[in-house]
Amino acid sequence: MSEPVAKPKSSAALVQSRRNALRSYLGAYGFMAPAGVLVIIFFLIPVAIVLYLSVTNLASSNFTSDLAKMEFIGLKNYQTLLNDQFARKIFFNTIFYVLVTLSLFNVSLALIVSLLTTHIDRSAGFVFRALWILPRITSPVVYILIWKRMMAEAPFGILNQFNEFLGQPTYNYVATNPWVFVVVVNGFIGVSFGMIIFTSAIESIPKDLLNASLVDGSSRMQRIRYVILPLIRWPLLFVVTYQTLSLLTSFVEIQLLTDGGPGLYRTEVWSLTAYHRALSNYFGNAQWGYGSAFAVLLVMIGVVLAVIYMRVFRFDELVAEPRVEAL
Amino acid sequence: MEIRIDNLTKKFGDVVGVEDLTLHIEDGEFVAFLGPSGCGKTTTLLTLAGIYKPTDGLIRFGDRVVNTVQPKDRNIGMVFQSYALYPHMTIFQNIAYPLKLKKAPKNVQNEQVRQVANVMGIGELLDRRPGQLSGGQQQRVALGRALVKEPDVLLFDEPLSNLDARLRLTMRGEIKHLQKNLGITSIYVTHDQVEAMTMADRIAVMNGGHLQAFDAPDELYDRPKTRFVAGFVGNPPMNFLDVEVSPANGQFLAQADSIELPLGVERGEASAGHRGTVVMGIRPEDIQIVDEGDVRGEIFVVEPLGREDLIDVRIGPHSFILLADTEKQHRAGELVSLNFDMTQAQFFDPQTERSLLWHQ
Amino acid sequence: MTAREPLFDSAKSKADETPPSFQADLIEGLRLGFISILIALAAAFFFSGIVHPLFALGSVEETVMDVLTRLCLLALPFIAYIASASVARRYTATNISRALGLALTCAVILFAAISAGHYALNYGVFAPRPSLQMTLSQTEAGVRVETIAAGGAADKAEMQVGDVITAIRRDAVDLEAFNKRLSQAEAGAPLRLRFTRGAEEMQETVRVALVSDKQLNLLLPGLLFGLVFTAIIVFLPGHWAPYIALVGLLSPLIVGYFWVIVATFSYRTEGLVPLDSNDNFGGFTLKNWESIFAGNIAGLEFNIWPILMTSLAIAVLMTFVVLLVSSMAGYALSRMHFPGRRFFLSFTLILHGFPAITLLIPIFFVLLRLGDLPVIGDMVGFNTIGGIALVMVAFQLPLGVWLMKGFFDNIPWDMERSALIDGASRFRTYWEILLPQIRPGLLALGIFAFIGGWNAYIIPATYSIGSGLSNLPVFLNELIDETAPVDWNQVAAVGLFQLIPIFIFFIFAQEYLLNIYAGGTKGSS
Repeated sequence: MSEPVAKPKSSAALVQSRRNALRSYLGAYGFMAPAGVLVIIFFLIPVAIVLYLSVTNLASSNFTSDLAKMEFIGLKNYQTLLNDQFARKIFFNTIFYVLVTLSLFNVSLALIVSLLTTHIDRSAGFVFRALWILPRITSPVVYILIWKRMMAEAPFGILNQFNEFLGQPTYNYVATNPWVFVVVVNGFIGVSFGMIIFTSAIESIPKDLLNASLVDGSSRMQRIRYVILPLIRWPLLFVVTYQTLSLLTSFVEIQLLTDGGPGLYRTEVWSLTAYHRALSNYFGNAQWGYGSAFAVLLVMIGVVLAVIYMRVFRFDELVAEPRVEAL
Repeated sequence: MEIRIDNLTKKFGDVVGVEDLTLHIEDGEFVAFLGPSGCGKTTTLLTLAGIYKPTDGLIRFGDRVVNTVQPKDRNIGMVFQSYALYPHMTIFQNIAYPLKLKKAPKNVQNEQVRQVANVMGIGELLDRRPGQLSGGQQQRVALGRALVKEPDVLLFDEPLSNLDARLRLTMRGEIKHLQKNLGITSIYVTHDQVEAMTMADRIAVMNGGHLQAFDAPDELYDRPKTRFVAGFVGNPPMNFLDVEVSPANGQFLAQADSIELPLGVERGEASAGHRGTVVMGIRPEDIQIVDEGDVRGEIFVVEPLGREDLIDVRIGPHSFILLADTEKQHRAGELVSLNFDMTQAQFFDPQTERSLLWHQ
Repeated sequence: MTAREPLFDSAKSKADETPPSFQADLIEGLRLGFISILIALAAAFFFSGIVHPLFALGSVEETVMDVLTRLCLLALPFIAYIASASVARRYTATNISRALGLALTCAVILFAAISAGHYALNYGVFAPRPSLQMTLSQTEAGVRVETIAAGGAADKAEMQVGDVITAIRRDAVDLEAFNKRLSQAEAGAPLRLRFTRGAEEMQETVRVALVSDKQLNLLLPGLLFGLVFTAIIVFLPGHWAPYIALVGLLSPLIVGYFWVIVATFSYRTEGLVPLDSNDNFGGFTLKNWESIFAGNIAGLEFNIWPILMTSLAIAVLMTFVVLLVSSMAGYALSRMHFPGRRFFLSFTLILHGFPAITLLIPIFFVLLRLGDLPVIGDMVGFNTIGGIALVMVAFQLPLGVWLMKGFFDNIPWDMERSALIDGASRFRTYWEILLPQIRPGLLALGIFAFIGGWNAYIIPATYSIGSGLSNLPVFLNELIDETAPVDWNQVAAVGLFQLIPIFIFFIFAQEYLLNIYAGGTKGSS
């Protein structure tokens, strides 16, 4: 063979190439900059602050907005938290709330609703989905007011009015079944997210595939079981993981509904505790430091779940390399 | 514009797109890159366009090394398989977009777009949007957009593969005609060898990231330098058969099982020099069904193509594709005699797959 | 020529099959019925026997599982009827008498089996009910004790036949009121009865007992109800089923929102019934709506228009910034090479799972500091619309960036390449070529963001304390906090006032929202 061709890549070309790459990187960082700044200001710095607050005893009695003047007390807040006799109950309450609401409403009912609304007349489907979205777009205050009215004691409660009409005894539902109340009220809000994701996933299944299965002789139920459900496996997983985290951090509805009661922490969940301790004068004294300890633990749980959830979602497949290169 | 590609290598991580490609394209030439999907032809094209950065090697447009030149500064026009028309812009805006980016004055834009549109025969469609156009019209718009900035080089990435057969035929002629008139150096990527054969001045056949041959269409067809080229160029494809070539009665004989074919001296000598079996290739049009012939076989399938029948003849374990007159009305199961025109037979080394007849 | 052969030996014509016998269908129907009974029982056991005790270990005081168990047992006969009627429904179109005969026979057998189970387990109509273990009759003087079961609750309390009960504690009762009072009492609850024995006024405390009287005559209405239900199922057109299910599932919301609408047009309501000052039906009024625009509710003075504008400003500003920022980041992550890309992408996903709301306290400090900055502080500091909108933008970013990246991923690379060859810069490619093409994605994310911004409560409430800057949700809360007594019908009107525009917006936007899967979550499938 002929002699090896001398590498014609001159150093000038190399410099030019490096310069081009750098320029293109700078361009990319330019695109990332606004998001990056917001993330730093409203996620990273606050995380640092909340970590710091959790090792101080900042409360409304010794409030200062100067971070340097706060009193450092080490891990005392965490110690208090672990020794808190109600922390255990609140922890299990949270697990109960997330698991039950998620499985009954955010996933199951959402799936049922999206399957039902995609198997009827298309415009009717739109109407039903619009109605299901109502709880999410109604102001929580009014939404909770509706449910309180629904469950109220006779003669004001709607349910008890039905009971009276049917000659049945009336109940004080909120007092006897607070958890049912909390789960159902949050569940009806939670349905819409899954419903939208599932519906759009079902709608994006190629029509040929759906028709083919009917031609192959499957009934509509069998088609749901053997074609549709396997095809929406990923959105299902997505809704499960995403809604787990949403439920974990949602507390506004519970606060308005039962405020963690009745009785001692009967329906209190972790994020509500963080809020109570830090922002509401639950004990006449907002304990910002102690509340932050609760928040830090919740942040940690959230991040751990998110990492697991990235593994489940096969993160590597999301980062396919761009097919345009910097010269 | 003359294009010189020297030792071009493009890798994606560990995956080789194209390796050590050297190719010199004359000014005004129409070159086709031909090969099966994944052979590296589109990768080469996109590297020429400046979308991919070469891992190694040099690309020159004229005297200028363009390795690090941005796509917009290469003055190229490109037509994509999907046309890549901007769906939210009208046809006028689509064609005018390159001019707008060059900051050409409005009236110049206007005039040039109309001129190009008239050449492409889409003058009436300028107010429509791509979605309202047929495939052939979209194709013309894409071509118009590539031409409007008067590029030095035109790049085509399988532009006709989304069109129906009839339209493909028309567009084939139009593109070739246009290219000859304008004299723009053009590179045309395709996996359809008919397209490459009919349109290109020269064809670069590629496989597995390597250049197999770079020659004029006739040359590739008559004197294929590798077995791959022989098999890829020509439709229906060439028949291949492992044979042993030995001298007999001053002539030569190519043998495989019961098949014995007499061979001329020139081809015989070239292939008999090789010990063991060699790969013989023979094109379907070089096999005839005759009343009395050297070899007998049974017809397995008849595929009517209209003008002629494509016939699969089985001889023992071997299968040959050939073409026959439809009037003969051959039927599956029929026993026939075949005559092989051995003056057209090709011979290849079974290991290197290089031709034993045409050395580089 | 070869003869035609079937590809598979087992292939045979379905037309040859004769329809199965009545008995075979009956057996299949019963089989399905009993299977569904078993499934319902298993579900009931799962809820009350497994899940409930598990959470009880964690000292969760819940009644959800109890309710679920009861729902399972309540639905059990209906599920069984439906399951067995599914066999009969095959004949509805061709042979009505066979369909009906089959379904009703199944229903009778299933009813018998379920009732036997109830009888054996003291459940359903045989469930023990509160009783004082005496029979009563209404007389002019009061409720007369007719018989007393020996050793029963009344006997133990030394009640005697002939006593005339006049009151429970201080509430005078007739027989109807007495029975109602009794039915609501729990086992062991003491009822202090006032009665006259002869001429003497007396009182005794009787403890309520639970008695299972197993009155078989209660079964007949149940059977009739079951048969009617089954017949309906047999004749119900199949395409009605999803509608019935949807309306059934939605009924709490339909009833609830019906109440809101009624409430906003009336002075007060009991249940769903609007009442006037004399407790009669009526009392409709427009005052709840008028006072919103008049700007005075129970002494709280306000002007609704600035509040509305604040709501709109927060929502619009936030939507705009979310779209811009997430689409830029999404574009870079989807289409560009740069060191740290992998890190940014995984970080976005981690933020996705970040309980942002726990950062309310520290963000308060951040906003205080931002407010101290010159120029910027006036725009995005504490107590500014900009600051509130930015915080909410940050919270929406993880979802937004991820969605946008997904939508950009779906645009063919040739678009981008074409634009670059035509001479566009990366920014122009993003702005002029790609952004218009992900409009469905922008709309979907925009709708999410707008709804979020319009309904934002906790963030504006937390970061605009005492600034007089309030959007509709915050105003709604002020209304509740600062008026006493709270006029809930008035609150409902304000809530509905806030809901209407966003609901209309959603109705029109839903089609676009359904695109979300097209780009958003497909990346990994």
